[in-house]
Amino acid sequence: MKQNKSPLSPEEEKLFGDLMPEELNEVLSSGLQRRHFLKLMGLASAGLLVSHMVGAEQLFARSVEFDEIPDLIPTAIENGINVSFKVNSGTKKVLIDSRMTLLDTLRERIGLTGSKKGCDHGQCGACTVIVDGNRVLSCLTLAASCEGKSIITIEGLAKDNELNPMQQAFLKHDGFQCGFCTPGQICSAVALMKEAKEGQASFVTQNIRDQAGAVMLSDEEIAERMSGNICRCGAYPNIVAAIKEAQTGKNIEQNWLFAG
Amino acid sequence: MENTNKIIGKGIDRIDGIMKITGKASYATDYPAKNMAYAVLFKSTIASGKIVQINTTDAEKSPGVIQIITHENAPKLNIKGGLRGGALLQGPEIIFHGQHIGMVVAETFEQATAAAHLVQVKYQQDKTEKIDFDELAKNPEMPKGKELADLVRGAGKSALAQAEVKIEEEYETPIEHHHPMEPHATVAVWEGENVILYNGSQIINGAQTAAAATLNLKPEQVRIVSPYIGGGFGSKGGQWANLVLTAVAAQMVKRPVKLALTRQQMFNSVGLRQRNIQKISLGATKEGVLTTLAHETISHTAVDFEYIEPCGDCSKIMYEVPNSLISYRVVPMNLILPTYTRGPGKSTGSFALECAMDELAHQLKMDPIALRIKNEPKKDPSNGKPWSSRTTVKCLEEGAKAFGWEKRKAIPGTHFSGENLIGYGVACGTYPARQRDSSANIKLTLKNGQVYATVEIAASDLGTGTNTILAQTAADGLGIPLSRITMKIGDSDLPPAAGSVGSVGASSFANAVNDACGKITDELLAKSGKQFFVRPTANDLMISEKIAAFETQSSSKAPAEAEQYSAHSFNANFAEVSINKLTGMVKVTRFLAVTGAGKILNPKTARSQIIGGNIWGIGMALTEESVVDPRYGNFATRSFADYHVPANLDVGQLDAMFINEVDLIPNKMGVKGIGEVGIVGVAAAIANAVFNATGKRIRSLPITPDKLLPS
Amino acid sequence: MIPFKFSIAKNQSEALGLIHQHQHAAFLAGGTNILDLMKEHVAQPTEIIDLGRLPLSTIKSTNTGISLGALAKNTETANHPLIRKDYPVLSKAILAGASAQIRNMASNGGNLMQRTRCSYFYDINMPCNKRVPGSGCAAMKGFNRMHAIFGWSDQCVAVYPSDMAIALSALNANVKVMQQNGSERSIPFTDFHVLPKDHPEKDNSLNHGELITSIELPKNNFASHSSYIKVRDRNSYAFALVSVAAGFELEGNTIKTAHIAMGGVAHKPWRALKAEAFLKDKAATFANFIKAADLEMSSAKPLSHNKFKIEMGKQTLIHAFEVALKG
Repeated sequence: MKQNKSPLSPEEEKLFGDLMPEELNEVLSSGLQRRHFLKLMGLASAGLLVSHMVGAEQLFARSVEFDEIPDLIPTAIENGINVSFKVNSGTKKVLIDSRMTLLDTLRERIGLTGSKKGCDHGQCGACTVIVDGNRVLSCLTLAASCEGKSIITIEGLAKDNELNPMQQAFLKHDGFQCGFCTPGQICSAVALMKEAKEGQASFVTQNIRDQAGAVMLSDEEIAERMSGNICRCGAYPNIVAAIKEAQTGKNIEQNWLFAG
Repeated sequence: MENTNKIIGKGIDRIDGIMKITGKASYATDYPAKNMAYAVLFKSTIASGKIVQINTTDAEKSPGVIQIITHENAPKLNIKGGLRGGALLQGPEIIFHGQHIGMVVAETFEQATAAAHLVQVKYQQDKTEKIDFDELAKNPEMPKGKELADLVRGAGKSALAQAEVKIEEEYETPIEHHHPMEPHATVAVWEGENVILYNGSQIINGAQTAAAATLNLKPEQVRIVSPYIGGGFGSKGGQWANLVLTAVAAQMVKRPVKLALTRQQMFNSVGLRQRNIQKISLGATKEGVLTTLAHETISHTAVDFEYIEPCGDCSKIMYEVPNSLISYRVVPMNLILPTYTRGPGKSTGSFALECAMDELAHQLKMDPIALRIKNEPKKDPSNGKPWSSRTTVKCLEEGAKAFGWEKRKAIPGTHFSGENLIGYGVACGTYPARQRDSSANIKLTLKNGQVYATVEIAASDLGTGTNTILAQTAADGLGIPLSRITMKIGDSDLPPAAGSVGSVGASSFANAVNDACGKITDELLAKSGKQFFVRPTANDLMISEKIAAFETQSSSKAPAEAEQYSAHSFNANFAEVSINKLTGMVKVTRFLAVTGAGKILNPKTARSQIIGGNIWGIGMALTEESVVDPRYGNFATRSFADYHVPANLDVGQLDAMFINEVDLIPNKMGVKGIGEVGIVGVAAAIANAVFNATGKRIRSLPITPDKLLPS
Repeated sequence: MIPFKFSIAKNQSEALGLIHQHQHAAFLAGGTNILDLMKEHVAQPTEIIDLGRLPLSTIKSTNTGISLGALAKNTETANHPLIRKDYPVLSKAILAGASAQIRNMASNGGNLMQRTRCSYFYDINMPCNKRVPGSGCAAMKGFNRMHAIFGWSDQCVAVYPSDMAIALSALNANVKVMQQNGSERSIPFTDFHVLPKDHPEKDNSLNHGELITSIELPKNNFASHSSYIKVRDRNSYAFALVSVAAGFELEGNTIKTAHIAMGGVAHKPWRALKAEAFLKDKAATFANFIKAADLEMSSAKPLSHNKFKIEMGKQTLIHAFEVALKG
């Protein structure tokens, strides 16, 4: 399976556009090749990558993933299944072992490592992705059952060089520390916006019988609805603030206090 | 030097945030490698004894299996190489339930997992296994560590007999697990005689030297790559067997290998915070002047190695008291080795001490803040050294104002809101401020009239904000805008540095970078051969002298005079709880942590550190407990469904307030560290609030609903 | 996970045909529990039949009430306008369970098929009669804080974990099941799950190869006086220590009938028949609530670590009654 056609992220596209404009079209059409990286590395040692911050460092670390991930050999696995589904903007066809979860398929077969394995048992939410519009746990989803479905991962949220407003809000409100639960948190929060628009209720909704349509979420509502995403660093208040800002579109104050 | 502090102290966004919100930050298992094989560990199902036979026949025949590694075929490793917790497959002996006894390496994760399930093990079980803490704690031993010997001041505990008012109570804290969201994991790639280990490491150089020594290699043969760490909280400080076993597997199968612990395996692979029984005895005059403080702790450790968290540390220094005893007793158990866990000793110790202070205040009918201020020590009572600075009183006073402490009802159980009981609690905390040896490299380049800097240091950022505060430090130190600074951390190929442990990260790393900035400016000045009225920045010099590239490296250590002072961060924690009077469910509705931690380099990331610590404290107070089954020595709580890390809804409004203070004694930048202090005192503040709400004094954590039922 | 063959059933008869061919086959609906169990090697099906394409996800009004398709998602069910309006106790109970992500995945039928979360059941190195009949029960004398206080046997003290089912029990639902020959049978909800007795390996009265097609809810007169209260170790995303679903048909201040079920206390949703009987035709007063709760809990038999559940059960019943009364 060719893996090098995964689309560039906005940052990567900007990076290539700024530094290697002559290669950009080639990268966009055929994907990142090792030779592109070699050239980039030369530029890096010249210090030209700095305005792209630490991001560029990671691009190097991840370079191999853009090479081919070899297909599994059908005879070497039990119960091989060819499954095809849409991931972010492209369609993926992969041969998998029937046991593979969507999470492991994304991470190990497709090279989309943004979704994280925090518990592998549906108890933490780090693997949350959006399938056919709904947030689900990719660790409890068999990839084989995803035939024909449409999957959005953290890598697919930014569009046209623009971060998703939820991503922006998480950055502004420091809605994470270590960042490991963050892809799941953000996917969860993005899908939550749709749920709120649909007027879905939660366990803390005051009167379940009232069905007023779209809901503007209180802090408590956000907290309850995001409780399926565990954050061990404890960024919860910041996550709530970020979601509030993303939903209202209004500037939510950040509060750190000094005294003495 | 002319450090203009333009960016230091500003609450800028994390510079690596964009990587985290786009899913591009690479944690250990995100590293790709060609021809990767997958390893899965399997573990002992007895707590003590030895393996008589491991039958791997079925497992070997299982599809996709490349190699099965047990003590029978594992290479000889140096078990004293510096890894924690043993379990290196070096022999048949079993000393705790869940000890690694082997691993399967296969073509896919699914195949490795299925094959591991087919391994059959016969044991000879040692019936004298030590797995029942309640029984063992009746006959504890003296600890081996000298620092844990009985510490007696004045007449010690015997002075209690004369005290006008006494509190003598036992406080219990359960086993807790770190459970960073990223389970410990490694990708090992051999290149000839050298190995690259992608592995979340709080101490980059520590991981390197321990892995090298265990593998019988030279340190330079091992490279640790760890730019992003999915949380650690102490469990990724010292490294554990899984790091080196991945390297062993990769060597044996001659392919890159990925090995990630499962969440279930996290319970008995990478340490824990041990269960403690702490007895606090307080003696005071009727006016509330402390006369005696005894803090006696019983803990457990592993049978082959001693680690005891220092629960008595806060009691050593928090209050002026002429007579005191700090003691430790320990029981070795057939259980995974305990290890450093956020605020080691201080978080659990402060629970006991600060609840006891609250009990004393209640008995004296004094406000608990007034009681604390009354016993404020002028200098460090444990060693007589002057404080470099001490902010406890300021934290209490500013916090009381901001929190609305005056709304607290002095009589417990009298504050209602609908069906809920409301309570306020306060508790103090402290954590030492230290700087550890670190070095940093700075490379400057001039391109098109602009100066760019690359800062290199083998520091780690486990979400603490290291990348960001170091870039801020360098920006000010060099006079270069933040956007032209590239941070390189998390790699053992970089200049060696301290670890992100014990709240030494920020002070050690930032001082190293700051010193390097000073040094490179000095060198550029010398190179220019000119004299300036106003000291120019490195940026100015690179431009004015048209220097294409310049580089320097420097090492930093704590100022010599720091030793003559007692330097600590201090805090005061204020909690408001709301408790359903029928069901006993508790919610922390408001929490304010006021912290005096010297210079705050970035209030946005610092606030996140503090509230993160606070939420750890909420977990400690209300939800977290690991239970050992005393019949088997396994964990009866074995998944995230049984072990309750706080969820979003458990947390109400949290506020972080910092005391403005300049304390340049512990280090030149005046940075004291905030990673640990944020959890210290939190559980006590909440437990005290629960008492204030209900009149029930819960001395055994966590305070689950069953402990607060009516009747 | 052990290897398994995977197939997608196109319709009910194909699903029934496939499962009948394989003794160790299992249906896959939302997957939220069976995947978890398979990863732990607690469940080891050799054949997985994906039901995701079957047309069983409709929620609709019927002459007698509402029919919930077995494959309708928990989220959809909890938020269905008819459920929120006429069966708010069911919405509330569903929303009390798990997390938004899991409710988006979990199906109504699958919710009923959940297995206990007893940690000894999940740990394949521990004795467990439910997992391996005859191997013993590690929980009986172990860490049994989460376990049963009603209806347990010396074979098993596990509790059934669903929240949704507690409301379904109070609502007198019926479970519609398709048998191998294509005929349907209907199982009263209170008979669907069973007590452990001598066969704790059996959670319910479904036979191998039967397929849940729908859950039928009769009409009720207590939508405006119902409640679901859940007590747990953290405020969200945790299994119940004790939960209560309650509904009162009121006439003035008199309770015509009470519908009460408890979760977290037994191997099945525990219908609080004693409390129901006591409250029938009584005034809805705090004093009567206490008496009813006391009466219900009087027959509880706690284990070594869960004596608190008696008092907690009592308080939770009272709390649920108060909330239901307030409406």
